[in-house]
Amino acid sequence: MLRSIAPLFAAAAFAQDAGVKFFETDVRPVLATCQGCHNERNKMSGLALDSREAVLAGGNRGAVLKPGSAAESVLIQAVEQTGALKMPPGGKLKPEQAAALRKWVDMGAPWPAGNKVSKRAGADHWAFQPVKRHDPPAVKNTAWVRNPVDNFILARLEKEGLKPSPEMDKPGLLRRVSLDLTGLPPTAQELREFLADSSPEAYDKVVRRLLSSPHYGERWGRHWLDIARYADSDGYTIDAPRTMWRYRDWVIDRINEDVPFGEFVVEQFAGDLLPDATQDQLIATGFHRNTPSNYEGGIDFEQYRVEAVVDRVSTTGAAFLGLTLGCARCHDHKYDPVSQKEFYQLFAYLNNVNEITKEAERPEFNRPVMEVPTPDEIERKKAFRSQFQALSNEFIKYIRDLNAARADARKDLGFKERMANLRALRQREPKYTTALVMQELATPREAYIHLSGDFTRKGIAVKPAIPAFLPQLPPEKNTRLDFARWLVAANNPLTPRVTMNRFWQQYFGKGIVETEDDFGAVGSKPSHPELLDWLASEFVRQKWSQKEMHRLIVTSAVYRQSSKNRDDAAEVDPYNKLLAKQNRLRLEAEIVRDAGLTASGLLSRKIGGPSVYPPLPEGANSVTQVKREWQTSTGGDRYRRGIYTYFQRSAAFPGLLVFDAPDATSTCTRRNRSNTPLQALTTLNDLAFIEFSQGLARRALKDGGATDAERIDYAFQLAGARPPRDTERRKFQEFLAGRLEEFRTSPERAEEMLKMPVKDGEDKPLLAAWTSASRLLLNLDSFLTRE
Amino acid sequence: MTAEEQLLQFETRRHFFSRCGIGVGKIALASLLSGGRILAEPTGATNPMAAKKGHFPAKIKNVIYLFMCGGPSQFELYDFKPELQKYDGKECPEALLKGKRFAFMDTFTKEKPKLLGSKRQFKQHGKSGAYLSELLPHLGGVADDLTFVRGVATENFNHGPAKCFANTGSVRFGRPSMGSWVTYGIGSESTDLPGFVVLQSGPRGPRGGAALWASGFLPTAYQGVPFRSGGDPILNLARPAGVTQAHQQKAIETIRDMNLSTLAETGDGEIATRIAQYEMAYRMQSSGPELIDFSTESKETIAMYGAEPGKATYANNCLLARRLVERGVRFVQLYHADWDHHADLGTPLTDVAREIDQPSAALIRDLKKRGLLDETLVIWSGEFGRTPMGESRENGKSGRNHHIDAYTLWMAGGGIKPGMAIGGTDELGFSPAGDKVEVHDIHATLLHLLGLQHEKLTFRFQGRDFRLTDVKGTVLKNMLA
Repeated sequence: MLRSIAPLFAAAAFAQDAGVKFFETDVRPVLATCQGCHNERNKMSGLALDSREAVLAGGNRGAVLKPGSAAESVLIQAVEQTGALKMPPGGKLKPEQAAALRKWVDMGAPWPAGNKVSKRAGADHWAFQPVKRHDPPAVKNTAWVRNPVDNFILARLEKEGLKPSPEMDKPGLLRRVSLDLTGLPPTAQELREFLADSSPEAYDKVVRRLLSSPHYGERWGRHWLDIARYADSDGYTIDAPRTMWRYRDWVIDRINEDVPFGEFVVEQFAGDLLPDATQDQLIATGFHRNTPSNYEGGIDFEQYRVEAVVDRVSTTGAAFLGLTLGCARCHDHKYDPVSQKEFYQLFAYLNNVNEITKEAERPEFNRPVMEVPTPDEIERKKAFRSQFQALSNEFIKYIRDLNAARADARKDLGFKERMANLRALRQREPKYTTALVMQELATPREAYIHLSGDFTRKGIAVKPAIPAFLPQLPPEKNTRLDFARWLVAANNPLTPRVTMNRFWQQYFGKGIVETEDDFGAVGSKPSHPELLDWLASEFVRQKWSQKEMHRLIVTSAVYRQSSKNRDDAAEVDPYNKLLAKQNRLRLEAEIVRDAGLTASGLLSRKIGGPSVYPPLPEGANSVTQVKREWQTSTGGDRYRRGIYTYFQRSAAFPGLLVFDAPDATSTCTRRNRSNTPLQALTTLNDLAFIEFSQGLARRALKDGGATDAERIDYAFQLAGARPPRDTERRKFQEFLAGRLEEFRTSPERAEEMLKMPVKDGEDKPLLAAWTSASRLLLNLDSFLTRE
Repeated sequence: MTAEEQLLQFETRRHFFSRCGIGVGKIALASLLSGGRILAEPTGATNPMAAKKGHFPAKIKNVIYLFMCGGPSQFELYDFKPELQKYDGKECPEALLKGKRFAFMDTFTKEKPKLLGSKRQFKQHGKSGAYLSELLPHLGGVADDLTFVRGVATENFNHGPAKCFANTGSVRFGRPSMGSWVTYGIGSESTDLPGFVVLQSGPRGPRGGAALWASGFLPTAYQGVPFRSGGDPILNLARPAGVTQAHQQKAIETIRDMNLSTLAETGDGEIATRIAQYEMAYRMQSSGPELIDFSTESKETIAMYGAEPGKATYANNCLLARRLVERGVRFVQLYHADWDHHADLGTPLTDVAREIDQPSAALIRDLKKRGLLDETLVIWSGEFGRTPMGESRENGKSGRNHHIDAYTLWMAGGGIKPGMAIGGTDELGFSPAGDKVEVHDIHATLLHLLGLQHEKLTFRFQGRDFRLTDVKGTVLKNMLA
């Protein structure tokens, strides 16, 4: 009955006043119970119920209310629980409450004037404000300052009445900066040179050398590969091998070339959309194709395509914007001003890659994929083609001759032989390496809000757009390429801050913002906000040169400090946030291996190429669904750096995983540094480390000098770039003597100890004793740690 | 001890207490400063696996999770449905299928799926009168110790993601597994074995691999450690050839002494932790081989499980599981493949049921006999169940598709009421009837029994406090004792 007379109410002026009164007495208290979730700040399902404008704007499902018609209003269906959507969740309004809402809607949803939509909280948060370059603050101890970075650190220390620590001793400093810039400890020669150079520029020279070393690209490339969730297999159930090493090499090469970070990012996000994209620019787009792919039987391919796009958005948030965008997949962000709608607007930028969506396309799994031959491969292919051409030509001529002689080709031996040769050659046609790449669909896919994050539940359609609280893109420039350029645009305050913060984190163990992937409202506050902004602005001023920023940090006095604990500083600053000293950091997984390889002299310094298969502990590969063959690499490839070890997601190389290498299922912006017994078992017992020990032993015996004392010094230098302390020397000597005696009396144990071939004339018990003693050095905390 | 060593130790102690008290906690220096031999016991706070108190007193200490890979058919094992038998061969009512998504959708769109009655005979067992099929005679014998949970719902109909969900509470790979959450929450009683151990048997490893026992964003110390039943149970556990035990001990002691000198110089408490980890590694080298040595087990026990020493069988793993919880290992998970019977519910199902029946029952009897069942929770479950509709991929044979709405699992052990069932399914076994049970509820209940409140066991990552139970989970109160 109410329904039929409702228009009459709405039309009459006197009724409006009555309506507002009804709203205040009967409706507002009911809406208040809904506003816990549906308010301007939380906007559950995109819907706010705290102003008339917001109610009329509707939510992710579209309009919720038609003034004057309760029957056509989703809001009423929801609270009366007559349709699929039932509100409130897990309960029901009292009948009189639901009736009041129905009456109110039929009245035309009257609302008192003056209730405006409030500004969304959070947009004024520090991280979203433009970067402001502050002048480096004045300090008392000006002699300590090496560059402006130090002003910021020292000013704060002086405020707390703390003195910085003295500079690290020379060997320790060389090992630190070598590991930090190249991931490799210094060689004996490099150490000698540095110790001999007493000029004031000695350290700067070292930094210059390290930054121009090709190993710099490997070390900082590996850090980027963590962010890119790079792996050599598909992940999920089947986890078959995939070929992506050209992307890995692209990263190493570009970092070595010091391509401006902006270009580095744009090519990875949208190299395919650049005019006349080169092969390298296409390889770069592997960045967002490193997502795991599922092709287990019976799946809905669309579901896993959607998962990959969601991952692209989350990765973009964590790696560039320092925002936990993933939180807004299912509902509006609880703390930051990112609505669920804005999540899917970002989703829309990354949603148009020509990947498969249904079972019928299964044979084209992992499309788009392209051939990306190396210059070498092109040469080999050319050579093959000309060889094939020559053989074919000769064959044709032979057939002509046979025909001319009217001989029966089928019975001719020469014919058969040539035929077989050609076929065999065809089998050996060299293949081009491939890579997964981005390729935009001609017509973009429809993007829509996924209700509760479920892609089968469609909300309203959305178009690509940047979240409202950040600098905007003009509507005519709104492609994935424009989005990429926006990420590194001069007015984007987040990307340079987040990037510089990660650099800082790698050098000091913690970022200036400790939550390196969350610069939002609940992330930690920066310990040195002005330094962070100074670094961000300097990064832009240095034309986004990563090398210049690395140089700046590693040549600062704060970086060069000793890492020894200090009672006075620990009292004031127990977590060393103010950096009155450096921090000791356990080496990253790959570097544990690389440092062992370097000490042993076995390291292959080859850069790039297909991934390799170092020896795997027995039984390590038996845990996956599909058992994969592991053809252990031979020759130099057995001793390549950890970055080149084949990485299978479902059964990652144990020696890497045990030292906290990320599992590559999603982006990793900071690695754990755990300390476990399984790590001890690895460096004590793993075949690789026994081989490294033997290599180290052989070098100590061969090049260390004539006396044990000299050899011990040399072995310590190779493993830790430092001389032994007296206690260490004595303990080492004692252990060595014990082993030598044991191996002399039980030479068969010496034989067993030596895993690598022994040369003629080598004293096996002696080599075995030194191997055993060298093993100690590769298990020292000071070996596993960057001091 | 020489004067210098005494001085070193004194220095270490002084530096240690004065300089690294903060952030390291109270580290028992007993083993560090006792000099000489490696101690038999670890040094408390240095061990991330040290046993910790939960949120409230626990009902159980340990969990043994028997994971049946592939999705066992509840209709052939536990969920007796005479009505389904009656409609055998009839087309499945449209109303049931509406709005549902299934794996291998095409097999259901090509022709209308038909209901399939079970060919297996069922009978009631024990005082509780639980129905079990002829495939599980041994489990029938311990029916009064089992608590069935029927009509369990999960979220994804593909093996990998569903396994991930059953283990981590998320279909997306990369979250911490339940064993990691548990050891993160309360550590482990074992001082010389990892706190979370994974065992495998069957023709292949579980789909998803290491993601199922990964620690996700929790520290890696809490990830599951896969043990093998043959050879060395842990990777790199064996000393290198040519290295005797005395040699290894001397090596670890020398490493410790050298590390102590670095500790004295730098004052970094992390070094003390490393020393403790090397000592635990050393203890694992003897406890590992001892663990897998069945020679101390009686002939009767071996026969009860049907174990064959040295082989990677489910029976061996059940016996290992008992030995592990006996030694205080907090969370033991067994994976057994393969239950994915799309095409044939005949011989392949009979075989795999036989592989698990006797050992699972033996595990329960053995735990009970030793007084361990009261402090252990045994869970038997797959990643989902199977449809009441049949699938025919090969001529003359019938299988069933994946079904995520209403599968059956069972538990046995401390803190729960034995010989009963909660939840239920409708007459065709298609949908749950009665209490709604979801995977998050199983996780919430498991944590509850261990003394952990699932809403409070959180870890902050990427700006959010994550839980094993995500934003859901209700403790299944009506099965608690």
